[in-house]
Amino acid sequence: MTHALNTVADGLRLPMEFSVSSRQPIVPPPDPSNGEADLKTVFDEIRDFYAVDRVPGVFRWIGRDPGFLQPYWQATREAFADRTLERLTKEILAFAVSMTAKSDYGVDFHLREVRRLGLSDRGLTEAVEVVQLFNTVTKIADALGLKPDFPARPSAPDS
Amino acid sequence: MEIVHVSDLHELAPEDQKFCEATKAWFKIDFVPKMTRVLLTVPEFGRPYGRASRRAMSDGALSRAQKELIASVVSAINVCEY
Repeated sequence: MTHALNTVADGLRLPMEFSVSSRQPIVPPPDPSNGEADLKTVFDEIRDFYAVDRVPGVFRWIGRDPGFLQPYWQATREAFADRTLERLTKEILAFAVSMTAKSDYGVDFHLREVRRLGLSDRGLTEAVEVVQLFNTVTKIADALGLKPDFPARPSAPDS
Repeated sequence: MEIVHVSDLHELAPEDQKFCEATKAWFKIDFVPKMTRVLLTVPEFGRPYGRASRRAMSDGALSRAQKELIASVVSAINVCEY
């Protein structure tokens, strides 16, 4: 979900939500106040979920087709809900994905989310260290053509 | 196709063999991953890189499990089979 949302946001040059941004959208997202009633309900949910006053541009864009936004938002919300993994961990992963994919929109968005959900300075430093480490070894492995040497997927402890 | 010779354990310096043993314990596996052996092909690089890795992947503000998840998504985005 993160990579897909970032692809839309960066592809359309949507301005970052929480940082100063000089980006000009290729096609401006619609104004949320002009939406239909069912769109307003989804936009209200999105604002609540992210604790923002303004619906993020990427969701306003998707709202051009309310029939698509409604189930897509529902899936996004469920993907990030607290389950076996809590929401903060999922947001840390989204931040790592955004950094690795070099998504300005995603880094800005998910950095704000991890901070809002309580990630400490130390935690942020550690997350970036792991992103850095594995952006090194994955490139070394690919450049050298290393084939996996770990056995097929180990089973989960509770399976 | 692998384009480098991946050293066998016995080809590495004794101190690097010890690090390799610690790597097996770290991952709870009975072999030394190729990446560990490749990095130690140039010990001047591989030794400090290994120390940095071990420090970064240890439990801290984030758990080791959370860090391994981050490693997984980075690998996925980079489409790295290894």
